[in-house]
Amino acid sequence: MNVQTTEKIPLITLVGPPNSGKTTLFNYLSGKNFKTVNYPGATVEYSISGLQKKFNIKANVIDSPGIVSLNAHSPDEKISVDALFNHPLYGQPDVLVVTVDSSQLSRHLLLVKQLKNAGFNIIVALTMNDLLRKKHQEISLSKLRILLDCEVLQIDGRTGDGINVLLNKISESLNNRNSSIKPNAEILKSFNNQSLLELYKEIELIENDVIYEINSNGNGFNLETANAELNILSQPAEKKTKYTLDSTTLKIDKYLLHPKFGALFFFLIMSATFASIFWLADPLMGMVDDFFAFLSAEAALLLGDGWFSDFVANGIISGTGSVLVFLPQIIILFLILGLLEDTGYLARGAMIVDKPLSKIGLNGKSFVPMLSGFACAIPAILATRTIPNKRERFLTIFILPLMSCSARLPVYALLIAFLLPAGKSWLGGIILASIYIFSVSSSIIVAGILNKFKDKIVKEEDNSSFIIELPAYRRPKLKFIFINSYINVKAYLQKAGPVIIGFSIVLWFLTYFPNTDPQIDTTGLTETEIMHVKEAERISQSYAADLGKIIQPVMTPLGMDWRVGVSLIAAFAAREVFVSSLALIFKVTDDNEETIQQSMLQSMRQAEIGDTGQKLFTTSTIIGLIVFFIFALQCLSTVAVSRKETGGWRIPILQVIVFTSLAYFFTFITVNGLRALGVS
Amino acid sequence: MKKASELQYGEKLTISEIDFSHPSSQRILEIGFTPGQEIELIVKPLFNDPLAFSVRGSIIAIRKDEADCIKVS
Repeated sequence: MNVQTTEKIPLITLVGPPNSGKTTLFNYLSGKNFKTVNYPGATVEYSISGLQKKFNIKANVIDSPGIVSLNAHSPDEKISVDALFNHPLYGQPDVLVVTVDSSQLSRHLLLVKQLKNAGFNIIVALTMNDLLRKKHQEISLSKLRILLDCEVLQIDGRTGDGINVLLNKISESLNNRNSSIKPNAEILKSFNNQSLLELYKEIELIENDVIYEINSNGNGFNLETANAELNILSQPAEKKTKYTLDSTTLKIDKYLLHPKFGALFFFLIMSATFASIFWLADPLMGMVDDFFAFLSAEAALLLGDGWFSDFVANGIISGTGSVLVFLPQIIILFLILGLLEDTGYLARGAMIVDKPLSKIGLNGKSFVPMLSGFACAIPAILATRTIPNKRERFLTIFILPLMSCSARLPVYALLIAFLLPAGKSWLGGIILASIYIFSVSSSIIVAGILNKFKDKIVKEEDNSSFIIELPAYRRPKLKFIFINSYINVKAYLQKAGPVIIGFSIVLWFLTYFPNTDPQIDTTGLTETEIMHVKEAERISQSYAADLGKIIQPVMTPLGMDWRVGVSLIAAFAAREVFVSSLALIFKVTDDNEETIQQSMLQSMRQAEIGDTGQKLFTTSTIIGLIVFFIFALQCLSTVAVSRKETGGWRIPILQVIVFTSLAYFFTFITVNGLRALGVS
Repeated sequence: MKKASELQYGEKLTISEIDFSHPSSQRILEIGFTPGQEIELIVKPLFNDPLAFSVRGSIIAIRKDEADCIKVS
């Protein structure tokens, strides 16, 4: 590894327990302009950025994963802890900024003490000071400085309060650093249950000294600070710190975590979340779709005929569009998740579902990823990082493709429209709801079955555990949620974007070449009709069609032919491509958005398999296709992200095999079963 | 002496011992459940599992089976 040795840029590492405001501070320091990188050879990630220019300190800042203590309980945690001592790329940190929730001083000082004992140069940044004040308590900073033997200050990463002081201290610390003092990782070996108990004893003494009650009106605490400081050594630590819980939180939890109503509230909150993901996003998705259709058409006009024009219009622009069309849903999903997290409900939701999920080998912490999976499997897979147990995490990743992601919606919409008798469009909603319920039930069943083979899927035996802090309810800071959603959406685009666009280009190539100039009978056809018919002819002679014809024998038992096969292959770039691919193949010849589906349904109803006179699309094959889309893992980006996150091909390949076989098997049963029952 | 998992809703007792043979015991210790601390069962949800305790001024949810290793009196 090539580390610049001439003049090392100082390194600031942020450390802290989960929920201590560490990432908030990082976002503030980095100005949201960071890159997220994996530790070499590992699936653990960290974010790195230069300190924002306006702060006038030349330094890199790293956001490390949240840890409760320096004792690593999993290989992933070990990587994070080891990197604190010696980062594989950036070496040793020059200063550690440890974020500590001041309303949870007692628990969060553990990490501070461990880091201090290990010999790190640390600055303690106290966060959530408003929560402590709500408990009518205050911390004596000067005492805490003496007792911890390091700099201590208060900040609010959400508003930026206190950050300037922190920056001054960082800069001071960097200027005065003594390079001979090095943290020593050897100390990790001496940590055991006994030393933990002793550390906590020390912490309790510190706590008794530094926390004091303030009047509810907030006045006069300066006097108390002064008094407290005078008494620093003279007063024996007899009094015990009074731990109080936020009374509002207790009141709200009486309802939200009520043995019976809790489940009802959970159900309501989830329903509202789903409703917004679909209904709020729907018009926006239409707009994005229209916009790219427009761009693509304009580009085709501008560049004229020829492969290049087609490449830009259908390969690049439509490919980009197929990524961005889901953006509204993903933005709304992140906004809602951000809102639920910032208020403090998300941890409680995870708690409510932990019991049922643990029955099928998952964890309460699988809840957020599964929820995200209904928008898109990719952010969902990324969200599984919070699951500490490797086996539960991989099992969660495994079943995520079964969550009915939004890319399936356009497909279901078309297939349902085919099934609906005229004038009974209300039935559509019921069919769609049934599809979702069916997907959820099958994912539960699949997880349950997989759980039986868990030893074969992930060999490591970990202790399954669910320990989670239920944070005090807070009024969410909208600006902060927007910033966070922006960061998450950007991360999603960076991860998924190149893959999806890349595969769209490959598919474009397969459907465009060898690009024969088809001879067709043009009599009585308009210009656009000729274009569409030509396009359809070209596709039927393309490499994609060749591929489709190879898989014809596979499609026949399902009552389908190569045309559906090609569309299914095309759908691997992104599921909704199935619809546009069918549109191309079935010579859909109308530009009007409203009638495009009508004319598509029309030609689908007329399509026959070869010369047999047998209809290609019937009630049974359409229901079969729906079943196929419920199970099939038709998303190369999911495969790519699954490989990256599980650190190998094992899980993604198993996923493709299992879900494709399930899809094929159940489609076969559905189509032939329905036919046996007399459904055409 | 009984286990933290046997607390009644709203019951407050002091931790006397942590059973270190439990695989989660170190995490439980790290999160703040140490002998001498008073804990209270705050939430007993739908399935009676996980349970949420107040400890050191925070609310921590842990599985019932993990709460078994916390002895209280």
